[in-house]
Amino acid sequence: MDKMFVISMTDWQAVLGQFSASYSLFAPVEFNGSQDYELVDKENTGNIIYNHPKPATPVKTFFLPVKENVTVESGIEKPAIIMGVPSCDLAALDILDEMYLQRDYTDIYYKNRRENFILIGYDCRSIVENCHCTSYGLKPYPEKNCDLMLARDRHLVFLQSLSARGAELLKEMGKYADIIKASKDEASEINEKRSEITRLLKDKNKNLPGYELSGKLIKDSPDKIWKSYASTCVSCGACAAICPTCTCFLLIDRPDFEKIRQLDTCQYPGFEKVAAGEDPLGELFVRFRNRYQCKYVWKPLKFKSIACTGCGRCIDTCIGKISKNELLEELASEKNS
Amino acid sequence: MKETNIYKPLRAELIEVIEESPTIKSFVLVPEQEFSFATGQFVELTLNGTGEAPFTPSSSPLVKDRIEITIMKAGYVTEKIHNLKPGEIMGIRGPYGRGYPLDRLYGKEILIVGGGCGFAPLRSLLYNLEAEKDKVRKVTFCYGSKNPAECIYKPYIENLKTIDKFEVHRTVDVADETWAGEVGVATVLLDKVEVNIDDSVAVVCGPPIMMKFGVMKLLEMGYKDRQIYLSMEKNMSCGLGKCGHCMMGEYFVCKDGPVFSYDEIKDQPDIWK
Repeated sequence: MDKMFVISMTDWQAVLGQFSASYSLFAPVEFNGSQDYELVDKENTGNIIYNHPKPATPVKTFFLPVKENVTVESGIEKPAIIMGVPSCDLAALDILDEMYLQRDYTDIYYKNRRENFILIGYDCRSIVENCHCTSYGLKPYPEKNCDLMLARDRHLVFLQSLSARGAELLKEMGKYADIIKASKDEASEINEKRSEITRLLKDKNKNLPGYELSGKLIKDSPDKIWKSYASTCVSCGACAAICPTCTCFLLIDRPDFEKIRQLDTCQYPGFEKVAAGEDPLGELFVRFRNRYQCKYVWKPLKFKSIACTGCGRCIDTCIGKISKNELLEELASEKNS
Repeated sequence: MKETNIYKPLRAELIEVIEESPTIKSFVLVPEQEFSFATGQFVELTLNGTGEAPFTPSSSPLVKDRIEITIMKAGYVTEKIHNLKPGEIMGIRGPYGRGYPLDRLYGKEILIVGGGCGFAPLRSLLYNLEAEKDKVRKVTFCYGSKNPAECIYKPYIENLKTIDKFEVHRTVDVADETWAGEVGVATVLLDKVEVNIDDSVAVVCGPPIMMKFGVMKLLEMGYKDRQIYLSMEKNMSCGLGKCGHCMMGEYFVCKDGPVFSYDEIKDQPDIWK
């Protein structure tokens, strides 16, 4: 792992000012009590939120826009830096990459963005209600799929490159700011904070079954529990829209043989319906269960990457107040009783 | 790995429309460039500006300059396709998926069971088997249609009957005054066929309910799960194993199928829906 560097907050603001001119710079900004990625310029770099999880929308939406014409030339986009990506969203890029870059067919629109967007990941310095990345073997700090790691401590910003592109970016920063190596004490302080957050997460989710066990529990579960939890589901699809690993889409036809790739979800009625009328997901509780089966039972059989990274957004967003974690904990406790 | 745009269809000119039955038509298309497929693979056909739907070609995979697609009027897109006239330009993507396992059919007694428009992919298979007749031991084709008028490819059936090693049995669900043959669903024909089951492979294609009862009957006759091949009809929307609409348990039907052996899919949820 590369060495950790440190830069003063004042210098960092200068770097961001420069970057916002040469890149499209996105970072988490607070809005109405929640945070989400916004395009920032040198006037509002002060509004950026540091190291507090997590943007309302996953970083997925940068690579897979809700709607995109996938038959016209993809214009060369201004290079972008996306700053503030939490570890859960970075890990989720694994399955997106598998789906859109591998498996015999490459989506050139997705590929173009993956190659051109620079990602700066955040260490999570706090946890919010439904965070559970550590239950699925992840750490609450960036380990992969990003170029730089960033952690802010009061007036200092710590940076570490996690890719060749990240190292380049550090070099570029050196033109606008004093970057020095972090001391041993500073580095170990960062590690201590990482351990503390990891411990908090593990403690908070001590009853939550792990990823593989969840798959087994779901596979063996009776209809009853799904009917019960689905009773407040209204098939709004918010859980999937906001999920960093859900990848399903619909192709919509436009004149001149153009096609729009629009994100879609198995939670919407008619998702699997065929012209002759058969609809495997016709019943609401079957549809509701399908998303869990897909993530924990079926995807593991066909994909190398995990299909839930424990961000908890599906729970945050559910208007039916359905908690995935409560459901899985209930399955686990029923198994034990 | 294909770096081309996976969503962009080729253009194909519609040169002929053949009325097969009151609800089924065949569309002969000439793609702008050579288009090869293996029998049982499917294509995504675009009706410009309206929609796209998956179909398994009904023509021989050995014919490279044109492709024939047989379509039943069943929904929004297919109804509009039925109104097309020769000269129109359509879009075509593919071919996609895994077709019929010819290597596992050659040298065996092949029992083919079809219902309704399910004859379409099977005709492609039959063309292929006919062309490779020396590798084929025996082909028994059992076909059921709703009524005599809904029987498609009548001239082809008559021709098939005259071919050495090929045997054809037909039934209709509901007879009329023109019909003197068997009455009942396609599975009733299976009582009549003579086949050495241990050395046989069965291929079934038709409406889900017919496939379900077809499989039950074949199992009852003594066929093993792995000796039965099915063409699954699911909502194959992208054809690329990505969009998720055709998921059947762990399988993406468009990529892992659409042809499966029964033992591969029997434990997946809702296979007949």
